[in-house]
Amino acid sequence: MNQLGIKSEESSAFEFDQEKINQALDFFRSKLDSELVTAFSTCVHCGLCAETCHYYLVDREPRSTPAYKLSLVKKLFQRATSSRENGQEVLSRAEIEELVDVIFGRCSLCGRCFLNCTMGINITRAIRVARGMLAYLGLVPDGLASTVQTAVAKGNNMGIAKEDWLETVEWLEEELRAELNDPEVRLPVDEKGARVLYTINPREAMFFPMSITAAGKIFYAAGEKWTFSSENFDVTNYGLYSGEDDIAGELSARLIRAKEQLGCEEIILAECGHGYNSNRWEVFDWLRQQQSHPVRSILELIVEYIQKGKIKLDPGRNSEPVTLHDPCNLVRLGGLIEEQRYILQRAVADFREMSPNREKNFCCGGGGGQLAMTRFAERRLKVGQIKADQIRQTKATIVATPCHNCIDQLMELNKHYQLKVKIKTITELVAEALVFD
Amino acid sequence: MREIEIKGKKIKLNEEGFLVNPEEWDEEVARELAQLEEGITELTEDHWAVINYIRNYYLEKNLAPMVRKICQTTGFPLKYIFELFPSGPAKGACKVAGLPKPDGCV
Repeated sequence: MNQLGIKSEESSAFEFDQEKINQALDFFRSKLDSELVTAFSTCVHCGLCAETCHYYLVDREPRSTPAYKLSLVKKLFQRATSSRENGQEVLSRAEIEELVDVIFGRCSLCGRCFLNCTMGINITRAIRVARGMLAYLGLVPDGLASTVQTAVAKGNNMGIAKEDWLETVEWLEEELRAELNDPEVRLPVDEKGARVLYTINPREAMFFPMSITAAGKIFYAAGEKWTFSSENFDVTNYGLYSGEDDIAGELSARLIRAKEQLGCEEIILAECGHGYNSNRWEVFDWLRQQQSHPVRSILELIVEYIQKGKIKLDPGRNSEPVTLHDPCNLVRLGGLIEEQRYILQRAVADFREMSPNREKNFCCGGGGGQLAMTRFAERRLKVGQIKADQIRQTKATIVATPCHNCIDQLMELNKHYQLKVKIKTITELVAEALVFD
Repeated sequence: MREIEIKGKKIKLNEEGFLVNPEEWDEEVARELAQLEEGITELTEDHWAVINYIRNYYLEKNLAPMVRKICQTTGFPLKYIFELFPSGPAKGACKVAGLPKPDGCV
């Protein structure tokens, strides 16, 4: 339910309380800064961004061009900063419906337009701020809204109860002991003074625990002192996608609190694109704090293990051809580009880049909360065609990607486009290649 | 939103193939969803063991069970769950068992 007392899914039933919309525009105005205001006047409509956006490349609809999306946000800016008379209609029903369709439904916040904009406009950021205004009106589409609410209310975005989380860790610990034939192997929880606090994507514990066991195996091989938190283990932050800064800040603050309570030296994030962008970078805007809390991706830690000789890998254990999908939030927006390549070159025998790659890579189509918003699912699969074609061209049989959100979209593309590939995390491939002396 | 017809009954599916009204589920619906979503032509006893456990858990708790519970209750190893339902526990097994789509990165 939103603040107007209607469910967000029923935008046709949206009551046009212009007073509320006025407040939302004031809220939008409070989020403006010089970068955003400049952006609205800087776009020269060169149209170059159109060809960079996976939505436009697939559907060729003018509404899918980033410049058009930016123009909608500019319109909000104009309405928000001009005088508004009482009772005057500031945004019509059609305008609100278009905003939800375009700002939520035609953008995965992947940043590819920003990278290619001749004027250097951060279109991604402008769209996220507009999402925040729609969130203020309670118009975050279902699925994304409920994922945010579940994270806020239950401590993780799938609503896993503490006892279920602990029982799952115990179960995986037993499995790992059997696999390694060592009764001393541990998956520690709430271990005070551990060096590393390791966080996961809840979907790993809920449905795909292979990557948890894999991480445990790598930590075991490296002799790491690490721990999970029993309360705050969720690396995700869907507040990034809903545009709600206050919620996003609180979700990131939970991990920092857990690290402080357990006295850990650093937070290590599981493979999660937006979790990395949120907890490594955006958190400084949300919490206005200095970098007093070291946060790294497990990829960076694995590189360190390899370079210091703490783990040994035999690429022959992964003999199938492997390609790599670069998650937007980790790579283009997060700056973590070469680590996954350094690792794969040592963990698999046949590593093949897809094209384009690194910061120029295309979004899988599942980012920006698209995976959660059922309403736009058909569109999501359609725009994923670019990624499906990229994968097919490599002739790889395994697609590796350091992001669980991308993995789920890639699994769907695999089925939809009949790619006949296996989708794996980097951690799983490393665990497979581990050599124990 | 799309509709499938099973023995004259119209069943609504959302854009991702999950039941819009989970209470409309029955074994016929499960067979149809398994065929549509997973390409499973015939549900075996092992499929049913997973489906029935998930369904009953959902009816009792209004939640999907964690994969640990599915494995421990059925006695099937994790790998076998993925063999039974190639799309995995969420978009495979839970969908066939008529549960709504879970929150999160799924």
